Amino acid sequence: MSKFEVPVGPQHPALKEPENFTFVVDGEHIVEVRPRIGYNHRGIEKAAESRTYIQNLYLMERICGICSVAHTTCYAQNVEYLYEKEIPPRAEYIRVIINELNRIHSHLLWLGVAGHEIGFDTLFMYVWRDREHVMDIIEAMTGNRVNYAINTIGGVRRDVTSETIAKARKVLDILEERTKYYKRVAAAELSLISRTKGIGILKPNDAVRLCAVGPTLRASAIKSDVRKDDPYSAYEEIPFNAVSYDLCDVFSRILVRVDETFEAINIIRYCLDHLPSGPVRLKLPRNPPAGESVSKVEAPRGEDIHYVRSDGTEKPARYKVRAPTLGNIPAVCDMLTSKADHTVNIGDIPIVLASIDPCFSCTDRAIKFVDPWKEKKWIWSHEQLDRYARRKGKQ
Amino acid sequence: MFGDKVLDLKAPRKRRLFVTVSPSDYKELMKYLAESLRITHISTITGADVGAKIEVMPHLFGLGVELTVKTMVPKDKPELDSVTDIYPGAVLYEREVHDLLGVVFKGHPDLSRLVLPEEWPEGVYPLRKDYKAQQPEPIRKG
Repeated sequence: MSKFEVPVGPQHPALKEPENFTFVVDGEHIVEVRPRIGYNHRGIEKAAESRTYIQNLYLMERICGICSVAHTTCYAQNVEYLYEKEIPPRAEYIRVIINELNRIHSHLLWLGVAGHEIGFDTLFMYVWRDREHVMDIIEAMTGNRVNYAINTIGGVRRDVTSETIAKARKVLDILEERTKYYKRVAAAELSLISRTKGIGILKPNDAVRLCAVGPTLRASAIKSDVRKDDPYSAYEEIPFNAVSYDLCDVFSRILVRVDETFEAINIIRYCLDHLPSGPVRLKLPRNPPAGESVSKVEAPRGEDIHYVRSDGTEKPARYKVRAPTLGNIPAVCDMLTSKADHTVNIGDIPIVLASIDPCFSCTDRAIKFVDPWKEKKWIWSHEQLDRYARRKGKQ
Repeated sequence: MFGDKVLDLKAPRKRRLFVTVSPSDYKELMKYLAESLRITHISTITGADVGAKIEVMPHLFGLGVELTVKTMVPKDKPELDSVTDIYPGAVLYEREVHDLLGVVFKGHPDLSRLVLPEEWPEGVYPLRKDYKAQQPEPIRKG
């Protein structure tokens, strides 16, 4: 049987973001994947070199629309490391609260998208309705729904009030009850299980070898979490579990994210109970001292790492950002490649790509189908691919 | 075993370590870290323009330490051994540094374009300091 090349993109098959993957298929089975990214490259690292540290805070906020607070936390603490200053404990706790609210919002968003990718749109609508609760509480605390603009160099820009705390507690109760319901659905709904169990296998040794990060890595039985391994903010003082499952498939990734939502709810409750008093911001001089620093944050999608080099002026000499999705691209290519003991079908592409929760705005993506012998090419739109995936799901 | 080969060692805060080596010892050190110390996670590779040289800095994590290996290659002949055979996770990161700073990683399986567009001119590396970002020409004048 001859081999075909199937290009997906640069309109993403799973998300509405640009990216290109070329799949070499043998009949129905994928034998090789070649990614081509960069359709969303905005030159943020170069732009950061021509802006002051405070201006860069707003640039970092715009790296990603979903996990914006993870990037600003990483950026702000990186610059704080340069000053070698500790920020007030109350600010550390507020950062943790907003980061965990962000994680709940991101995981619920993903659960909805995963439902949509396998043709389970009822789940998508239910989850996104409940996600509005967490969006409301983020808006009440920070003033914004998307780019929160809560972090600043030396602390946070807004304090939480007793009214927002009371509101947050109520919302957390609703969210906990709804998440419990989704966990029951995930464990019992046959259409969900049959489309996700045994799909997108990433074995633990491959996950480690390819340096996967975040929930993708933890769903392959590796208990690795930046919040535990390299604690930042107030995470050292907060009791919580790093969630991991050993099924190594898409179903495992669903369970990890649902359980992490519970953990996030508990972390926020702990922070609200133990919120220290005092100021929320430390005034720092305009220019940080010369030096270099590496900062890491566990974003909802995994390890987010920033590197800064300062030459003592008001602008950074070099700023480097690596968002979690780029770290997971080699892993997703491995998941989509047929192995000796299992095969991967074209119909699995949308859900497997979605299972790493890709964010190409962060990283910087389409599927093209080519026959090297017959010179035959065709491009599928997301809708065509989606229809194809759902048809396969019913068989 | 790398005592005299380590040019500089810094630990600015807890769990942070910066190790500087010469490009000729770079691969040997990376091999030692991966095979003897089992530091297998590579987070990313930063490249930085530092005047006449380009600094290449892989960020590794293992044994509870965030370890940054630093090495400098001359700008007129930016060549360095690829570590993709030791760290398969480094494939995209090396391509990114090659794209944006022009460092050639010897032994890399495929150094094709990763993030820059197809029509980008050859030999222009946007993250080098001599490259200045330009305002795009307006399509419609006036």
